[in-house]
Amino acid sequence: MTDAPREGTGISARGLTKTFGPLRAVDNLTFEVRPGRVTGFLGPNGAGKTTTLRMLLGLIRPTSGEALIGGRRYADIDRPMQVVGSALEATGFHPGRSGRDHLRVLAATHGIPDSRVDELLELVGIPAAARKRAGAYSMGMRQRLGLAAGLLGDPQVLLLDEPANGLDPEGIRWMRGFLRHLAQDEGRTVVVSSHLLSEVEQTVDDVVIIANGHLVREGTMDELHGDPAVLVRTRDASALADALVRSGLAVQPEGPAALRVQTGDLARVGDVALAAGQPVYELRALRTDLERLFLDLTEAPEHSNRNRLPEEIDR
Amino acid sequence: MTGLVRSELRKALTTKMAWGMPLAQFVLAAVFAAITGGFLLFVDIPGADGTPIPARELFEDGVLARMTYTGGLQVGYLLALVLGILAMGSEYRHKTLTATFLAEPRRGRVVAAKVVGLSVVVVLNGLAHLAGAVVGGGIMLLLADVPLFPDAGDLAGVMLRLLLVLVLWGLMGLGLGVLLPNQVVALFVGVAFAFLIEPLLSFGITFVDALADAARFFPSQASTAALSVFEGVDPATAQNMGFNPDQLDWWAAALTLLVYAAVMTAVGWVLTRRRDVA
Repeated sequence: MTDAPREGTGISARGLTKTFGPLRAVDNLTFEVRPGRVTGFLGPNGAGKTTTLRMLLGLIRPTSGEALIGGRRYADIDRPMQVVGSALEATGFHPGRSGRDHLRVLAATHGIPDSRVDELLELVGIPAAARKRAGAYSMGMRQRLGLAAGLLGDPQVLLLDEPANGLDPEGIRWMRGFLRHLAQDEGRTVVVSSHLLSEVEQTVDDVVIIANGHLVREGTMDELHGDPAVLVRTRDASALADALVRSGLAVQPEGPAALRVQTGDLARVGDVALAAGQPVYELRALRTDLERLFLDLTEAPEHSNRNRLPEEIDR
Repeated sequence: MTGLVRSELRKALTTKMAWGMPLAQFVLAAVFAAITGGFLLFVDIPGADGTPIPARELFEDGVLARMTYTGGLQVGYLLALVLGILAMGSEYRHKTLTATFLAEPRRGRVVAAKVVGLSVVVVLNGLAHLAGAVVGGGIMLLLADVPLFPDAGDLAGVMLRLLLVLVLWGLMGLGLGVLLPNQVVALFVGVAFAFLIEPLLSFGITFVDALADAARFFPSQASTAALSVFEGVDPATAQNMGFNPDQLDWWAAALTLLVYAAVMTAVGWVLTRRRDVA
């Protein structure tokens, strides 16, 4: 239903800065969101995520720097709902207006028919409730309605601010599946913000992590996981270590009777142990503790929140 | 642009305000027209020389009908002001402004669409007001054996101008709703100003010779003047009834209100374009 560009709509922030009085909510932030991928936009509460998203969407004017979507400022995009969809906050509904009418109000601006509105209400799973006053909606229904609003124009890019907030476990599972469907099956560019890495780690391909308005890490999820490693526990650790080194693997001791092997290949480690005649008591892939890493990154002393006012920064 | 206007109309027609406000206009216009009519047709008022005489002997039938039907003018423009405040204030209050600006980031166009949409809505409300006034006032006129429409042409003109006055008050409210984004504060300030402060002030300074001229340009007096309510009435009688006898011509009064509406709309336009939406 749209002839907006389907390919290559990425997002770039260049030196994005926003000060509120003495407070630097976002400080010289530069990052890229690659098209066709799901990017987690992460940071603790008060890091400046919402302010950044609002600058991307032209709602907040940057103090300096610029934000471009598909190479254009949001305000310069013709029929923007067909290029970028967003769900920014769950509270933006008139309590006396039905969810369906909320969507019809937005649909009118782009000449989108009521049939598309009903189609989306079906898709997000609130077709019946949508005819009741939005004031009576649960948090989960508000999130779903917000998502439907973002999808009205069938946009190639989706910006979602803490979409899992206030959802019950079933809702969170639904949201994860839905985001994966939008990105993987439909090839959309999705940016999803969260203050919890664990909430999105199964969903995102890339991460942009900010703390206190600064960029602290940008890259793929694989890079964040780091080099794969295997833990192997045996009777004679030094004998196994020798055998592993001889087969070309890097090894470090991990406690008295265990080794850390720099590989992702469990079978190879097992085969070497068998050939060396060493019994294997434990053999498993070592996972990077992402939550630990996230905390280390965002709470490092250089990012300590010198002017932390979470309510004001990240509303 | 038509899409934006349709969006604004949908906003106005999908909440309780869609029927609540016209109902209020109808009922209040009926009540105030009936009270005004009752007062004019059945009560003695001080004549030019101060002796009490029945009001209807002072006025021609055409003037009586005109005064009766416009009896709810003040409450009418007050409600139009409220509608204008809500058009913007409720977007701030319920944070729907975010969605509005995401759908149309060129904010000047949003304000323009609101001006058009609000004008349409105020005219619809104004028609409810006129219907109420004709019902409430008409009953009194019938009871007093005065023709319902003694001078139909004159009355039609007055009623059209009443619609115009309401629209201009609505636009003043639109600007006020932007100026004071806290909707409750905006409503309080707007109603207090229009209903208490401004009429008292403008009535007060009619007694100060140096300022008496200025009072004619106050919104309440300009509104009365724009309807030519006192056309054909003895100036001394008008003053005895509490009105400034020295009023603007209707077109000058309408122009005065237009200036207020334009200034307030411009204030709203400038602030809307500059403000961050958080």
